[in-house]
Amino acid sequence: MQVLEELLVIRASNEKFRVSVVADRCKECGLCIAVCPKKVLVRSNKYNKYGFRYPEPARIEECIGCRLCEYNCPDFAIYVEEVRK
Amino acid sequence: MKRVYTHGNEAIAEGALTAGLRFYAGYPITPTSDIMEYLARKLPEHGGVLMQFEDELASINAAIGASWAGAKSMTATSGPGFSLMVEGLGLGIITETPVVIAYVMRAGPSTGVPTKATQADIMQARFGSHGDYIIPVYAPSSVQEAYDLTIKAFNTAEMLRTPVILLSDATIAHLWESAVFREPGEVEIIERKKPKVPPEEYWPYKPDEDDGVPPMAVFGEGYHVIVESLTHDERGYYIQDTMVQRRMVERIVNKILKNIDKIFEYDTYYLDDARYVFISFGSSARSTLAVVRDLRNEGIKAGMIKLKTIWPLKDDLIRKLCSNADKVFVVENNMGKLVWDIQRIVRDREVIPVSIIDLDLPSPKEIRSVVDKWL
Amino acid sequence: MAVITSEKIRPGEAYPLDKYLRLPRIPTLWCAGCGLGVMLQTLLRAIDRRIKEGVLHRDKIAFVTGIGCTARTTFYVEFDGAHTLHGRAIAFATGVKLANPEIEVIVLGGDGDIAGIGGNHLIHAARRNMDLLVIMNTNFIYAMTGGQVAPTTPPGLYTTTTPYGNLEKPMNVIRLLSAFDVNYVARGSTVYPQILEQYFYKALGMKGFRFIEVVSTCPEVFGRHIGLRDPVELYNELKKRVKYKPRPSIEESELDWNKGIVLGEYIINNYPGYIEYIRERGGRK
Repeated sequence: MQVLEELLVIRASNEKFRVSVVADRCKECGLCIAVCPKKVLVRSNKYNKYGFRYPEPARIEECIGCRLCEYNCPDFAIYVEEVRK
Repeated sequence: MKRVYTHGNEAIAEGALTAGLRFYAGYPITPTSDIMEYLARKLPEHGGVLMQFEDELASINAAIGASWAGAKSMTATSGPGFSLMVEGLGLGIITETPVVIAYVMRAGPSTGVPTKATQADIMQARFGSHGDYIIPVYAPSSVQEAYDLTIKAFNTAEMLRTPVILLSDATIAHLWESAVFREPGEVEIIERKKPKVPPEEYWPYKPDEDDGVPPMAVFGEGYHVIVESLTHDERGYYIQDTMVQRRMVERIVNKILKNIDKIFEYDTYYLDDARYVFISFGSSARSTLAVVRDLRNEGIKAGMIKLKTIWPLKDDLIRKLCSNADKVFVVENNMGKLVWDIQRIVRDREVIPVSIIDLDLPSPKEIRSVVDKWL
Repeated sequence: MAVITSEKIRPGEAYPLDKYLRLPRIPTLWCAGCGLGVMLQTLLRAIDRRIKEGVLHRDKIAFVTGIGCTARTTFYVEFDGAHTLHGRAIAFATGVKLANPEIEVIVLGGDGDIAGIGGNHLIHAARRNMDLLVIMNTNFIYAMTGGQVAPTTPPGLYTTTTPYGNLEKPMNVIRLLSAFDVNYVARGSTVYPQILEQYFYKALGMKGFRFIEVVSTCPEVFGRHIGLRDPVELYNELKKRVKYKPRPSIEESELDWNKGIVLGEYIINNYPGYIEYIRERGGRK
């Protein structure tokens, strides 16, 4: 019915977990970066379509899949999945 | 059909049951508490639910909520209660919710005389809430009309997706007369239009025909409807745009005005050769009719228009009905309110207010004492 | 360095809970770091679990809200929703539930909407043990209108209508509701979303009156009043001020920033809800 614009999604994964960031929904609140116990996420220098700098899973190899980033994001912008072989 | 001997309030309650009432939300207030008491016993027998709420604010909001869950719903109140309900009335208007409010006027302002009548609230019934809108207001003048106009109020609410007010008063509420009640199947009952398209294509505030009335899907049917009190577009989304506001307000007003022929009800008496036309409504119309008959017996050519719909008014029809009159008298039980409309509409005739405050209804003798000076 | 891939995805397939969101209206209007986004995500997770179990039906859920930031939740969910009048959501919701008891009615509102202007309706719905789930988002301020004092604002604080300091004590809604025989009263917070999800999940499987107070962050308005406008700073401060206890007692429920705001499930009962009363003895059929 209504055609919606596509969203930029960035992903990174290690052997066990894949972190996806729906970059175009991020509002740069910084919560995911702050709550991650392994400092996986880093604010990038790239802007999404609204002018916010979204996080990137730069240290994805450290990710333990705790999902604190996913649970604490107010904007439906980051989630973690288990990588199934 | 069956012949009954009953009072105005019970007629309203029975009219609602005949029309398919399934939810009543109310708060005790003289002179309408007995409507709620009667329905508290009867409505469960018809498969409905009645609840006495903590105040009138809850009553009107719950009645609107129940309508959105699919039930025909109503509440009943008087002046002080309606004053509390006006914000909720606005919600019903902007969300285009079918709901009936039985407003039984009592002497005011403020607490006034709870058990006695007035007709001072016609402006509040029409314009109580803020914003631009028109809602139908029906005014019965007898027990039979209380029954019939209640059914008509429900039908109008469902047909036009709007709140409707049934404006009675304390005199008619407890006046006993004989009347005829209908069985199911003997009178037309209108249900709200349902969408003919699947959920992906349904927009809750988009009319599907020229009548300006959108079909209404309710909660629980899979349509994921949005009931929105902010200004909204046809999808129900809040948009702060002049054209959206204009479209929404104009459509809500025009859907009533376009269908005025289905709403406007009136009776005429001795009007063909009348030189003096009396206009009245509600309980005042009873005394007015007595005065008109007396005048006719005295050889004076008097006639009467009894308005059963006091809002919206069909201006051109009223003007036409008064076109042969020398003078027009407007009889009402207040300080003069309906007369402003008639003066506006019938611009080329003398319109004289007969505004008599009476706790029961203006007496023919007092009406005559005003009218005789002008004959 | 990590290998980061990027792609363009249609809304609806971009995030696991997208099927419950009204996608044309996302991103939400809520500020960066607003607790409401976390609350909504957590609630949708709990609803998703209950739908998958068959306890809730996808099309028989209604969100009823009043006015305020919390009330805007109805804009964003792909369920039946009503955005009604300030303080009147509980009354509207009662009408919905009584007219169609099959619908699971969820009321959301801020502390001002539910316990301020809506206080009377809150009390009576609790007294009736009406079958509603009421979620009150406590952010200690009237945020949407710009930062006026709220029923839960801590004493002494600057707000736009208490520029010389708030003279009132905050309202403890948990203790207020303990005066009634309700089925579930809990306090969670957006700083502990996993616990909050458990409370939502549990409440969605119960009947009767269920109330969950969600202590949440409002960085732009409340945070600004207390000098913590950065979302992460306010989050950290709130996390220091809340304490989790599984089954605290009502005496511990004071909304006290100094002693600590105690989260937990305060009241759990299994009384029959109002709908059950009507079915049993509400009238002849």
